[in-house]
Amino acid sequence: MSSALIQLSNLGFAWPGQPELLDIDAFTLQRGESLFLKGPSGSGKTTLLGLLGGVQKPDRGRIELLGQDLSQLSAGARDRFRVDHTGYVFQQFNLLPFLSVRENVELPCHFSKLRTSRAVQRHGSVAEATRALLAHLGLQQAELLQRRAGELSIGQQQRVAAARALIGQPELVIADEPTSALDADAREAFLELLFAECRAAGSSLLFVSHDQSLAHLFDRSLSLAELNKATRLAEI
Amino acid sequence: MYLLRLALASLGNRRFTAWLTVFAIALSVCLLLAVERVRTEARASFANTISGTDLIVGARSGSVNLLLYSVFRIGNATNNIRWESYEQLAKHRQVKWAIPISLGDSHRGYRVMGTSTAYFEHYRYARTQQLQLSSGRTFTDDPFEVVLGAEVAQALAYKLGDELVLAHGVAAISLLKHDDKPFKVVGILDRTGTPVDRTLHISLAGMEALHVDWQNGMPARGAAKVSAEQARAMDLQPTQITAVLLGLNSKIATFSLQREINEFRGEPLLAILPGVALQELWSLMGTAEKALFVVSLFVVLTGLIGMLTAILTSLNERRREMAILRSVGARPWHIASLLIVEAFALALAGVLLGVLLLYVGIAGAQGFIQANYGLYLPLNMPSRYEWTLLGAILSAALMMGCVPAWRAYRQSLADGLSIRL
Repeated sequence: MSSALIQLSNLGFAWPGQPELLDIDAFTLQRGESLFLKGPSGSGKTTLLGLLGGVQKPDRGRIELLGQDLSQLSAGARDRFRVDHTGYVFQQFNLLPFLSVRENVELPCHFSKLRTSRAVQRHGSVAEATRALLAHLGLQQAELLQRRAGELSIGQQQRVAAARALIGQPELVIADEPTSALDADAREAFLELLFAECRAAGSSLLFVSHDQSLAHLFDRSLSLAELNKATRLAEI
Repeated sequence: MYLLRLALASLGNRRFTAWLTVFAIALSVCLLLAVERVRTEARASFANTISGTDLIVGARSGSVNLLLYSVFRIGNATNNIRWESYEQLAKHRQVKWAIPISLGDSHRGYRVMGTSTAYFEHYRYARTQQLQLSSGRTFTDDPFEVVLGAEVAQALAYKLGDELVLAHGVAAISLLKHDDKPFKVVGILDRTGTPVDRTLHISLAGMEALHVDWQNGMPARGAAKVSAEQARAMDLQPTQITAVLLGLNSKIATFSLQREINEFRGEPLLAILPGVALQELWSLMGTAEKALFVVSLFVVLTGLIGMLTAILTSLNERRREMAILRSVGARPWHIASLLIVEAFALALAGVLLGVLLLYVGIAGAQGFIQANYGLYLPLNMPSRYEWTLLGAILSAALMMGCVPAWRAYRQSLADGLSIRL
């Protein structure tokens, strides 16, 4: 198996009835690599994440995740593939407010046998994996586990979301502006924790943000605007 | 099943609307079942008004008319039958017992019925129930004794030993009173839930004594008047009665005896089978009963549409919930099932609460309904028909759940993992 986790080649995508939004010749994310992808709003960032998650299909080109061409898979298989290998952290309101913290973290395990078995392999049980992950992310109080997720502070919620993305060690963690709701100090602290956990789980981190100030913390930094020929043309 | 847990937790998050929806469904289910039960019981109690009587015989008229005046005390006989005819019937070898009935007088709106003690012995209602005295005794040889139905005694506050005056005719306000011949209350019957409760029972001799001095439908005056004391000494054998209830030795003989009576040579008579006539009468009232049922069906439909509205309006606010579920691996059909489970859970809770309300309601109102409407509503398990109704409601809810499920399915495909708000 090659060391590339994500490999895009000659990718093109347009929403129906709109001009082409994405036109990427080549893009690679290595295993274990952390990448900062700078993308202002409207640059096709969300669409790219949708394509990587297999929610949308590209009009042309290939998207390979772990050597698997996503467009070869059926919609159901793409959904399964996504949850088996990808964890997500979004901007905010990541959690189901009516479930407990523990249930929120364990959500992916209900939909992915692979992630359940990995969590069990590493920690003995899903519950233990949840406890350990939350503890590493600074949420070690036992009573917190049973709290309704909606009652937590934004900072705590984002850490719970990170634990959920990381449970069962997916190969890829995609973070879409996860720090935009946090203040500057909390931002770096959150990132440190995220890095440490990704490293421990051996996951690659694809971090999408418009906040350039964080870029230096990553292995590599890229701008989607440079990558995407479609927007470059549009800007000229 | 994890989807069930998710659906319930999500509903719990929208507790207030969820409970309102459940309550609306519960009320409609309760109404439907209550209407259904009252309908069934009313029909049963109607059919139970008279039991054990094989034939009712009266002067020739219509069967429903004969049933109405002889059993329900509604309307009047067009003609009487002769005492000799009664005697002939009573002596018939197929006849086990015969109860003569004589009608025409009333007391403050309640009908007076002249009969024999055979009535208390042989009359049956609700299949096998016999008339029971709650106090006192039946009338005996003295013609001026009266046995009251339970409602008469209660409504007019009569007790044993009270004297009352009967009125001629059946109008609520009668100008002609038999005030020269008061009757004494000697017995009060137990409640039956039938027209017996609204009847004053006197002996045929008493009925005869009231009219012994009447001529051409008017009371005698002056010297022609017969006092109560004088009447007692007279021969009070009636010459005609209104109807006869017959019990036969063998049910098989019913039809042949009916034909025999209808072809009776002495005078034009009509014999009817109470069951058949009851059926005929019920079919007249059936339309109202069906309308009521249809209305309550529509109320249930309204309840379910309320549920559909509540779920559909919640969909938009829950796009984020759906997107989060998609991002943790839920497939679109998971999202769709979630909504169907939700609809089913709401309907199930509604149905259960509705049944509970029904039983609490019946337990609470049972006594009142029986006392006021003579209708006994039993607290028994839902019948097979009621189970079918409940099942149909749940299936309807499931089908309705498919509408939001389909919309959420489409929505979650379009929204994908992230939704911009």
